[in-house]
Amino acid sequence: MSAFTDRADAALADPILKTAVERTAGTAEAKRAVAVDAFPDFEAARDRAAAIKDHVVAHLGAYLEQFEANAIAAGAKVHWAQTADEACRIAIDICKAAGAKSVARSKSMLGEEIGLPHALAEAGIGRVETDLAEHIIQLADERPSHIIWPAMHKTREQVSALFKAKHRTPHEEETIAAMAESARRELRGRMLGADVGISGANFLIADTGAVCTVTNEGNAELSLVPPRVHIVTAGIEKIVPSMSHAVHMLRMLARSATGAALTQYTTFYTGPKRPADRDGPEEMHIILVDNGRTKMRSEGLAEMLRCIRCGACMNHCVVFRQIGGHAYGGTYPGPMGAVLTPVLDGLRQSRDLASACTLNGKCQEVCPVRIPLPTLLKGWREKSWREGLEPTSMRWGLGVWAWVARRPALYRLGTGVAVRALRLLGRGGWINALPLAGGWTRHRAMPKPAARTFMTQYREQQDR
Amino acid sequence: MSAREAILARLKGPPPSAAAAEALLIAPERPVVDAAALEAEFLARLALPSVSASHDVIERLEQLPAAVARYLAAHGAAPTLCVPPDPVLRTCDWSGLTLHDHAAPEESAALAVARLGVAETGSLVFETGPRAPMLPNFLALHHIVLLRVRDIVAHLEDAPLAGPQPRAHYWVTGVSGTTDIEGTYVRGAHGPRFLHVILCRD
Repeated sequence: MSAFTDRADAALADPILKTAVERTAGTAEAKRAVAVDAFPDFEAARDRAAAIKDHVVAHLGAYLEQFEANAIAAGAKVHWAQTADEACRIAIDICKAAGAKSVARSKSMLGEEIGLPHALAEAGIGRVETDLAEHIIQLADERPSHIIWPAMHKTREQVSALFKAKHRTPHEEETIAAMAESARRELRGRMLGADVGISGANFLIADTGAVCTVTNEGNAELSLVPPRVHIVTAGIEKIVPSMSHAVHMLRMLARSATGAALTQYTTFYTGPKRPADRDGPEEMHIILVDNGRTKMRSEGLAEMLRCIRCGACMNHCVVFRQIGGHAYGGTYPGPMGAVLTPVLDGLRQSRDLASACTLNGKCQEVCPVRIPLPTLLKGWREKSWREGLEPTSMRWGLGVWAWVARRPALYRLGTGVAVRALRLLGRGGWINALPLAGGWTRHRAMPKPAARTFMTQYREQQDR
Repeated sequence: MSAREAILARLKGPPPSAAAAEALLIAPERPVVDAAALEAEFLARLALPSVSASHDVIERLEQLPAAVARYLAAHGAAPTLCVPPDPVLRTCDWSGLTLHDHAAPEESAALAVARLGVAETGSLVFETGPRAPMLPNFLALHHIVLLRVRDIVAHLEDAPLAGPQPRAHYWVTGVSGTTDIEGTYVRGAHGPRFLHVILCRD
C-alpha cells in the first residue's frame, strides 16, 4: 500500500469529510452552472482565455521583462527565484531587513507551494493568516484541502470548537455568522499591527507592472495596505499582457470558481505608496518564482501553465468529491493537483495520483482555459511506466496480458472463461466482490458482464 | 549566472507582436449591457444578491450630506463619518455630522468618491491618491459611496485609465463576504458589512 492509498482509505472511511466536501463542492458546481448558462457564449470565452494564456506562455520571457521594467519604474523591487527554497530565502531576507516580527498573509497557493509558512516559522517570524479559511487551517495546524475553500473539510462544529479553544473572545451563539464575527474580532488588530503583508498574485500586468489580487473577504487589502512592507510571491505564468486581458481572465475566474460575475474586491497594486498618498506600504517587493515552470513549458506540460487556480476541476471531479483534498498529499489537490504534484514532489512519490483518475473528462469540460487534464494525466502514467516506477505486480500483470493479447485464439478462450466466472459472482447486475481483488472492489462495484463476449456475439452475427 | 538570467535564458524566444496581443481582445464575450440605459443597468446589478448594495439618488451634490445622514439614521448608526480629503466633498455643508479624515480601527462609516461605476457587474472603481486613501473603505462597517451618474461605464474594460497608474486601482463589487464555513454566505467577514451607493445626477 502506498501513502496515497492509505490516505484515500482513511478519507473514504470518514463520513464527516464526505458530507463537508459534498456541501461546498456541490454548491460550487451548481452556482457555476447557473453563471455559465447566463454568460453569452462561454465556450468561445474559454477558447479566448486559452489563447490568451498560450500567447503569454509562448512569449513568457519577453512579457516577464516588460513586467519587471514597469514594476521597477513604479518603484517596486523585483526578485527572481528558480526554486522554492530560493523564493523563501528572498522573502525571509526582506522580512529580516525590515525588522519584521509579524507578517499578515493573504491566501496564496504559490506561498503554500514554496513552503513559505514553514520558512517564516523557522525564521521565528509570527504569521497571521487572514483569509478566514486559512485562519481556520492555521489554528488547526493543517494544510489546505482545496485551492478556493482551504477549510472545506471542516464542519461548523469543528470550526466552533477550534475558535472556542483559540480565540481571545470567542463566539457564544452557535451560528456561522457568530463564528465569522469571532474571527473578525481576532484578526483585525493583527492585520493592522503587522510589519509585513505577504500576498500572491492572481495576475501580473505586463504593460503597467501592476499586481492583481482578488478576494471576497477584503482580507488582501487589509493585510497589504497597513504594513510598511508588501511582499508578493508570484508564479511566472501569472503574466497577462494588459488590464484588458486581465478583465477577460477575471470574468472566467470568478464564474468558474464561485459562480459570481466578479469577486467582491479586485485590486491592482502598482508599486509602493506615492509621496502624497495617505496609506499604502513604503516598500513593495515582487518575487517571480519559477519552481519547475520553465521545465513544464519545455517538457510537454506547457498547457498546464494556462491554469488560473479556479478549482472548477476539483469541484467537478468524482474522485475529489469522494476523498477530499488532503488525500492527494500535495499542495494542489484534484485533477490540476494530480498533474502538478509530480512536477513539484517528483513522479516516484506521486505516481499514484495519475492513476486515481477515472478519465471521465469532467475536469476538462469545465476548465475555463481548456487544459486537457486527462491527457496530461495519461502522460504521467506513460512516463511512470517508461521509468519503471510501476510496481512489479502491475508490470507482470500487464506483461501477461500483452502476451495473451497477441494470441487471439488464446485471448478469446480466456475472456470467454472470465466472462462466465464473473457472471457467477454478480448479484443484481453488479459485482461487489472479487477474489484476490478485494482492495479494488471495497470501494467500487463493477457491472456484471454480458453473457457472451463481444467477439462471440460478432461471429454469430456474421454467420447469420 | 543569476536566477533572473537563468530563468530568462530558458524562456528565450521571439518577442510578442502588439498586434497579436490585441487580436486576442477583438469582440470579447461579455455580459450584454444596454448602453442607452447605463443607470438602470448599473442599479439592477447593484441589487443582485451577490452585490446586495442599497442606493439613493440625489440631483445635486449639495444634497449629499442629507442623503448620508438619512442612511446613517436608518441604520441606527452614529452621525459620524470618515471623509477623505477630497475638495469636492468639502464644498458641501456637513453640519449635523461629525467628520474625521483618518479611519479608526473600528470605523463605523466611511464615505468615498468612486471614479467610475461599471454597469456590467455593479462594480465601483476607486483609485488611490492624496485625496483618496484606501484603508477607510475596508475598515468601515458601512461603506458609503458617491457616484456620479455620468461616470457609469458599460464594461470592466472601460475601468482602467490609460497612462501612469495610481498606486492602487480597485473595484468593489459588494461587501466583505465569506463562504469559508460550510459554504454558507456571511456578510462582513473582515471589512464592510453594508455598501450604500449615492448616485448623483448632477
